Amino acid sequence: MAVNSKKERRGMWAAAVPMFLLALTCLYPIYFALNNALKDNRGYILDRFGMVSDPNFENFVTAWGRARFSEYFMNSVITTVGAVFVLLLVSSMAGFALAVLRFPHRKLVFVLILGALMIPVQVILVPFYQTIIATGLLNTRTGLIISYTAFFLPFSIYLMTAFYAGIPRDLTEAARIDGARFFQVWWYVMLPMGKPALLTLGILNTLYCWNDVLISLLVLQNERTLMVGITALRGEYTTNVPLLAAGIVLAAAPIVIIYLLFQRHIVAGIAAGAVKG
Amino acid sequence: MSDATNIGSKAEKRIAVLFLAPALLLLIIFRLIPLGWGFGMSFTDANNAGTARWVGADNYLRAVNDPTFQDSVANTVILLATMPMMVMLPMLLAILIHQGVPGGKFFRAVYFLPAVLSSVIVGAIFNVVLRYDGSLNEFLAVFGFDAVDWLGSSSTALGALIAVQLWSTFGMSVLIFMAGLTTVPEDIIEAARIDGARFWQRLWFIVIPSLRPIIEFVAVVTTVGLLTNMFGLVYVLTGGGPGTATTLPEFLIWLEQGKLNRPGYAAALSMFLFVMMAGVAYAQIRIMKRNAEV
Repeated sequence: MAVNSKKERRGMWAAAVPMFLLALTCLYPIYFALNNALKDNRGYILDRFGMVSDPNFENFVTAWGRARFSEYFMNSVITTVGAVFVLLLVSSMAGFALAVLRFPHRKLVFVLILGALMIPVQVILVPFYQTIIATGLLNTRTGLIISYTAFFLPFSIYLMTAFYAGIPRDLTEAARIDGARFFQVWWYVMLPMGKPALLTLGILNTLYCWNDVLISLLVLQNERTLMVGITALRGEYTTNVPLLAAGIVLAAAPIVIIYLLFQRHIVAGIAAGAVKG
Repeated sequence: MSDATNIGSKAEKRIAVLFLAPALLLLIIFRLIPLGWGFGMSFTDANNAGTARWVGADNYLRAVNDPTFQDSVANTVILLATMPMMVMLPMLLAILIHQGVPGGKFFRAVYFLPAVLSSVIVGAIFNVVLRYDGSLNEFLAVFGFDAVDWLGSSSTALGALIAVQLWSTFGMSVLIFMAGLTTVPEDIIEAARIDGARFWQRLWFIVIPSLRPIIEFVAVVTTVGLLTNMFGLVYVLTGGGPGTATTLPEFLIWLEQGKLNRPGYAAALSMFLFVMMAGVAYAQIRIMKRNAEV
């Protein structure tokens, strides 16, 4: 709806001022991290808030090498990519079954899968940890991949089911009558058709896995992911802020880049969870 | 889809089982069974050494009388009381952007930035910003305010935690509201405008009523976040302190199972969280079921 009168237009401009200030606070972390990462520790202590005067990349070298961020980075990449791949595969299969196939108690199975949302990791922290030990998955990347899959699966299945349910049935029926087996219908029809939903889900799950700290704190105790590495960089009073800032830049850069590249899909995915159709 | 079509061929049923098996196995092994196991453990004095004795309802009785747990519940109540604000503020921002506030596109893109950052990163940054000698106090000093130890004093720590949580999630809610606003009937708003309805009138009588399902959804997502998504922030920002000022149940469960070596007790605390969580999750599942139209 367009704005009515002169008075309303003035109101809009008045609202834009606090909104602009809020936007500045959202950009501040980028300035904070980049600016401080380029200072050396002495320069930071001398001038904590000012713009860096003689930028150097020493902190990045230290973080990447001595603070072992190169290892953490690999752990984060492997577990995130692995989990996202498994999540897409498993949720696409389940979504196909729930939306296209006909079998008894279909709705009940769907609701039961969503019911897992009632059991977040905090609620089963202790027995989940024991399960990870009992299955020999403690301190393995495979264990973290499986854990991420188990915890981010219900929403993924929900989204794939909703997406597949929206595809005209004639298409799948036609494929079926043509003699394609169900497996081929999934592989040749549903997977390609599901690309937009899979892309959206892939990006959202990348965000969740990459940013997770609690699950990775539990499952990977010897090695670390980036987020756990960040927590290790800060001591109570002795935090080396420039080094911490460099770590933050290394840990956040991939996700910020993905956001900038795929903004549209993230929005679409979030909207799909909230808005009908 | 009608019930009549629910009966598939034998091959179809078999393939359905096959396709659902990985998902169901993962959820059963890593979520359902642990829930039952945890329930059992909550009646024992299990510790990390591996011995466990049946202690009946002792853990639950202890929890009810545990001042730390009481504080964590009180903190949760305060946290949940801020939920309406965490819904209304993003709604207002989304409506203003939708109404064509100057710079709207820029705001929409920038507001989401904190939401893509991990709670650990947000926590680590604000941990420095909110220090006694941090940049917030430095900034406030320009206007003549005295420095405050935002995270170190028990009167401000929880408020600071809530503010940071709001800051790091509001962008997500703005996006959801923006998506919802596209479903608001434009022609009715336009007609009301021509009839002379003012901005606030159009908002109150047309926009907000048609946003109701979205408001519900955001309220549920926000509540789920407040109950179970604060760990990273608490862990990095305040460590639950000072004292118990920012201790939340999920953080306490973590402490009890690990550092304090009382998994049995932690399992009992988890059951309290499960009960709190189940009600909210039920509302969430109902909304999702309605939206998916399976």
